[in-house]
Amino acid sequence: MFLHIYMYRLKCILRDKQNVFWTLMFPIILATLFYLAFSNLSNAESFTEIEVGIVDNEELREHPEFTEAVKSVPDLFNVTYTTKENAEKLLEDGEIEGYIHFDDGLKLFVKESGINETIIKSFLDDFLQTSSTISTIISQNPAAVQNGLPDSVFDRTDYLKAVPSGKAEPNTVVNYFYSLIAMACLYGSFSGLKEVLAMQGNLSYQGARVNMAPIHKAKIIIASMSAAVSFQLIAVTALLVYLIAVLRVDFGNQVGYIALTSIVSTITGVTFGTFISSVNRQSEGVKIGILIGSSMIMTFLSGMMYDKMKYIVHTKVPVLSYLNPANLITDSFYALYYFDTHARFFTNIALLCGYSVLFGTLTYLAVRRQRYASI
Amino acid sequence: MIIKVNNLVKRYDDLIALDHFNLEVKEGEIFGLLGPNGSGKTTAINCILSLLKYDKGTIEVYGRPMAPDAYDIKRNIGIIMQNVAVFDELTVYENIDYFCGMYIKDKKKRRELVEEAIEFVELDSFRKFLPKKLSGGLLRRLNIACGIAHKPKLIILDEPTVAVDPQSRRKILEGIRKLNDDGATIVYTSHYMEEVEEICTRIAIMDKGKVIALGTKDELKGMINSGEKITVEILEHNPDILEGVRSLPNIVSAEFNDNMLVAKSRRGKNNLSALLEYLRSSQINVGRIYSEPPTLNDVFLEITGKELRDHA
Ligand SMILES: Nc1ncnc2c1ncn2[C@@H]1O[C@H](COP(=O)(O)OP(=O)(O)O)[C@@H](O)[C@H]1O
Ligand SMILES: [Mg+2]
Repeated sequence: MFLHIYMYRLKCILRDKQNVFWTLMFPIILATLFYLAFSNLSNAESFTEIEVGIVDNEELREHPEFTEAVKSVPDLFNVTYTTKENAEKLLEDGEIEGYIHFDDGLKLFVKESGINETIIKSFLDDFLQTSSTISTIISQNPAAVQNGLPDSVFDRTDYLKAVPSGKAEPNTVVNYFYSLIAMACLYGSFSGLKEVLAMQGNLSYQGARVNMAPIHKAKIIIASMSAAVSFQLIAVTALLVYLIAVLRVDFGNQVGYIALTSIVSTITGVTFGTFISSVNRQSEGVKIGILIGSSMIMTFLSGMMYDKMKYIVHTKVPVLSYLNPANLITDSFYALYYFDTHARFFTNIALLCGYSVLFGTLTYLAVRRQRYASI
Repeated sequence: MIIKVNNLVKRYDDLIALDHFNLEVKEGEIFGLLGPNGSGKTTAINCILSLLKYDKGTIEVYGRPMAPDAYDIKRNIGIIMQNVAVFDELTVYENIDYFCGMYIKDKKKRRELVEEAIEFVELDSFRKFLPKKLSGGLLRRLNIACGIAHKPKLIILDEPTVAVDPQSRRKILEGIRKLNDDGATIVYTSHYMEEVEEICTRIAIMDKGKVIALGTKDELKGMINSGEKITVEILEHNPDILEGVRSLPNIVSAEFNDNMLVAKSRRGKNNLSALLEYLRSSQINVGRIYSEPPTLNDVFLEITGKELRDHA
């Protein structure tokens, strides 16, 4: 039964030419356009170490663990230890991308917003996270200090990945492609919409007929969603293969994690679509409008049209970064590319899973309602 | 009793679509639900099927309360909705197979049933066609095949012949008879009285969400006062003739319509011969003569004071 519904739903999705164009072809076309537009840029901007200033003061010396952490990523930063005034001047002249000042806590000063600034900030965030872990351990279990625990915590030379210098990949461009993948995943929402229309008695005649079958609604939903997810995975895989094999965009070599990100993101996209289409009572056209509009806004905020957007959101309205599935998707790729540890990556994936479960549950609750007020 | 509906009330906001609607369908009958557009036929069907919420009343199918999760009841129902409900992306064969597969798990059995359904609606040469490529009549036949392939014991058809060419209409009506002969109980809704008269063994006439009359077609016609409508071709238009005809004991009305005299009679015997006798004795030359027994339209007209359907 499950397989029967699944196969036929997949057939319906694959034969819907409009849907296939938007979810399969459109991202590939867009990727090609991005590629053509950025190909000049990419030659100029190969990855180099990020110039960073650190203000050398008392407070810095009180935190040798920070200096250690900086030293642990020699290929990522080129550090200048200097005075506050000089750092200010270097930043003004564009000699450095930003400087770090220990002044009653860690402070970062930057002039522009961009990928490099985001990397510095992420580094600091990671550092703060690790050090607060340690203070918690110490305060809860002072004996641990004697056992040399803090050392082992800091002794994580690999905790920030050093991107090999001279790597061909342009770091600002890659984010456009990340958001493009995010968009492709979120376009799963259109297949999700199609599935809800096909099973809801008050949304389509076909749905009314499906409702007359002696089958539990949950079974139909799961089979239909699986079909939508499968198709979207085909679309996202095609895009990834095209990006990697044809356009030679470098995503690092963590294929497993990239696959995981794509699968989870696709499920988020599909469930987002089923959720939007099952909870509002508007017409199909309005629903499509809502889906297009929301995926545009989400991918815009994650940096698809303007790469600094991601950073702006991250600093100005951090909570939005976590609420925006598109951003979580781009950020997962981003974390894979720049970081060796997967803490940040898995935070994103966990949030995406959370959203999928939430959207899926809400869809079920909305669709399960069995008699309709009006057909 | 296959279906038993008791005092069903369904409102859409301020509009009362079903107003204490009652219905009983017995095993083996072709039950007709006849009523003008908007009288509540589709609403009644959708409530019976547990697709629609209703405000009051009880519905039993096969002696048990009908509910959305009454799967063992649903398994025995075939439904042909008033709107064609097939998937545009699937071919004729696939559509039938898809819906049939929701009832029948066994693949081999399903293949046989789908083949039988295709043969039944005579769509064999269209099996690979997408619905877009089918004419209105063929599409309706596909719609029917999707509803009956699993051989349900109760088949509900909601206006299955709307916008259908005469040939397809004939096939559909014959098909319904055949399904009934094979043992299925049929509920058939329509606003075409001729169809209902032709195939239904029992008929409920609906108006404004209520059943206003119920019985076999003869019983229904027996309920009213009107007798046959007599039409006589007369070449001379003499108003005296009308006066004379109207004065005949059992004649209710008489009018000229072009060169035809149209007279309506009350129920009774020998109305036609009395009229002809009068014309002959008045030495009026008559041409062709027709006598039509009362129709369900007359029944509807007499009970509600309006025509069953607008003269389109
Ligand atoms: N979804 C709906 N919302 C509001 N009114 C409706 C709806 N469906 C039907 N109606 C109204 O209910 C009445 C009965 O309609 P319906 O059952 O479709 O009649 P029929 O099938 O006999 O043509 C009509 O007046 C119709 O306008
Ligand atoms: Mg109707």
